[in-house]
Amino acid sequence: MAGTHAEEHATPAIFTVYKSYQRHLANEQISTPLAAILALTDLIEFSDAGTMFELVKALNEGAETLKSKTANPISLNAGCELFIAFVTLFPHEFASFIDLKKELIRQGRRYATEALTYRRKIAELALDFIKDGSVILTHSYSRVVMQTLLLAHERKRISVFVTEARPRGLGQVILGCFLHVNSIECLICARIKTAEALRAAGIPATVVLDSAVAYVMDKVDFVLVGSEAVVESGGLINAVGSNQIAIIARAANKPFYALAESYKFHRLFPLSQYDLPSHNARLFSFPSPSQASAPSEHTARTESIQSLSHEMSAPNTQPINTGKITQEQISQENPDVDYTRPDLISLVFSDVGSLTPEGVSQYLVGMFAG
Amino acid sequence: MSKAERREVQERQRAAKLLQKQQKPPGAPVTTGPPSKGTQGNDPPSTPKPNKAVFSGQHKRSGSIYEPTTPGRGTFAQNADDAQSRKSRGLMIFSHFSLPKQLGQGVKGDIHPAIVRLALLFSEFKICGANARCIATLTAFKTVIQDYTTPEHNTLSRHLMTHLSPQISYLVSARPMSVSMGNAIRQLKLEISKADIDRVEQEVKDELCQQIDNYIRDRIIVADEVIEELAGQKIKDGDVILTYAKSSVVEKVLLNAHQEGKKFSVIVIDSQPLLEGKALLTSLTSTNPPIPCTYTFLSAISSVMTEVTTVLVGAHSICANGAVYSRSGTALVAMIAKNHNVPVVVCCETYKFSDSVVLDAFGKNELAPQKFDRRSDAALASPSSNLEILNPLYDLTPPKCITAVVTEVGLIPPSSVSSIPMALGRISI
Repeated sequence: MAGTHAEEHATPAIFTVYKSYQRHLANEQISTPLAAILALTDLIEFSDAGTMFELVKALNEGAETLKSKTANPISLNAGCELFIAFVTLFPHEFASFIDLKKELIRQGRRYATEALTYRRKIAELALDFIKDGSVILTHSYSRVVMQTLLLAHERKRISVFVTEARPRGLGQVILGCFLHVNSIECLICARIKTAEALRAAGIPATVVLDSAVAYVMDKVDFVLVGSEAVVESGGLINAVGSNQIAIIARAANKPFYALAESYKFHRLFPLSQYDLPSHNARLFSFPSPSQASAPSEHTARTESIQSLSHEMSAPNTQPINTGKITQEQISQENPDVDYTRPDLISLVFSDVGSLTPEGVSQYLVGMFAG
Repeated sequence: MSKAERREVQERQRAAKLLQKQQKPPGAPVTTGPPSKGTQGNDPPSTPKPNKAVFSGQHKRSGSIYEPTTPGRGTFAQNADDAQSRKSRGLMIFSHFSLPKQLGQGVKGDIHPAIVRLALLFSEFKICGANARCIATLTAFKTVIQDYTTPEHNTLSRHLMTHLSPQISYLVSARPMSVSMGNAIRQLKLEISKADIDRVEQEVKDELCQQIDNYIRDRIIVADEVIEELAGQKIKDGDVILTYAKSSVVEKVLLNAHQEGKKFSVIVIDSQPLLEGKALLTSLTSTNPPIPCTYTFLSAISSVMTEVTTVLVGAHSICANGAVYSRSGTALVAMIAKNHNVPVVVCCETYKFSDSVVLDAFGKNELAPQKFDRRSDAALASPSSNLEILNPLYDLTPPKCITAVVTEVGLIPPSSVSSIPMALGRISI
């Protein structure tokens, strides 16, 4: 349904926004929001929209297409939102609409090129907070964290603990292509990737079990994580496990730093984990008992949850009944990302500066509410 | 009656006479605080002759509870018996809470009948709630502006302001101005001062009325619609929403979400003395099908909080530091919710934002009029009663207990409240 607009008016090469998105995503350096921005820029190029209204409509449809094809659309949304807001607010001072479109395409591409320098900027900012001899805990795999650590290694002595980051770390291999397509962050075996890359660069790195974070926390000087998106509350959406690391860091009075390029700032306000767009009823659902001997339901609330879980987990009931739980099932019933509350975050380093969580939310309010 | 008793009565009467003499000069009939303003003649014990009641020897509470201990009352404290002076001293620290005035006391100038009527409605709590009061005030001001003619040798932009100030003072004498009214009036004054002196008076008046209408539409009505939608997105099937007292916005949010077919239940928390939750309960349960509701008092809050998924409350105003000034009891609800890790969502239009920073609810507050106290006659009027009644109307919820504020510009954390006016491009809120 959505995106037909883009597909209808395709050139002989048959342009689809999703193909373009995947093509950009194949580039190791391009992250999800940037790939979305580039895909939408391509869409402008191939679109035959004659007015601003049509163009914005086409862009919204393109964004919808991308969203519908990804399981975890949070960071993708951030990119689409930024680009569409940019197009809508772009000053219309061109002789013809064709010129305006050309300018938009030029701006979109220029932004993407410029955005690739953001990681370097962030690394420079974060460097001031890394002391010689620091022991750092990082979670999952993040390009901006990698770049920061490598930069820090050039000038200071650091050692790094890397968490195992399930299910991305492990679930990845088992789920095969399913997650691979959806999130660039989950390249094959994130944990090994981070640790191996660090070791290859000569940085002492050790893999830590997700369950051993509390054990290792006392040895750590600070926590450094990347991000999928930074939201309006000043909180962070990142690979699942970040939240518990933040809680443990707070309990141990260790700073928790997040690194985020400004295109990951997202106008979203999750009230809790269950308020995330990536949350669905399948996550953490209890398998329905095969016999109809369910206990009587007391409230409408449990009733609705049970009925939902009944529907959603139906395909999984078979293996459970046989008593076997596969890794695949575990991954499917567990979330990809979680939400870290702003009060657990010490600082967010981004290309617009080192911000407190309040600063992030003020920046976002200024960017979108104005 | 024994001799001693008779002497006592005589002495009391003498003292009362003396007091009346002392108090007459400074101003018109002496009032005894909120009862006289709050009840305006439908509550016999506190109507025009309150002094007699105080000294009639029956220790009728009749407002002496609320008596502000101003220096002028020194003689009163000396003459009165022990209990009386204790009472006065007990309330000294709250004497700055909306010093009770008689309706229109000390207001000079002609008061428009629409304003007199409105003031009466305010003082009777017939019009209650920040939004309702703001809309009522602005609507009354429209009448005032239409009925106004600029005197000779004067310009509208300068004189209308002086004409409006006594009207505002009159309203304030009925009940302290709400932040929402203050913001709206400030905006109105700004518009008046901008009026071109060369234009036809009627045209300018029409334009001002149009601007008032626009303000009500943009900042209140449409803002509420946006808030309804945004807050509605946070209500999901199976949720249990807890709300406190009654907020017009929260009511609309809940009804709207229900209309969209969401299946959720509501816990209405209420408390003395206003018992506003009853009205909310009625409106939530009169839908078809009714929203499943639980009604309970504030004292049961910790028992029900474990069931709750989201707390949704309204606000009287929000300070620049993100603290929410709202019906007293809200702070308790928010703190308990925070303790249970339940998100607290405050619905508030941006026109209620105040640029002041308030640190606690003692600096600024208002006392509930006595007529709302249902226990008055039985428990408190007994001769031995040394009980004082203090019913502050508002309290302050610290920003750290609030998860999100829903405004018409989106959901924001309380820490970003101060950046909203700038984002809206307004110099004044």
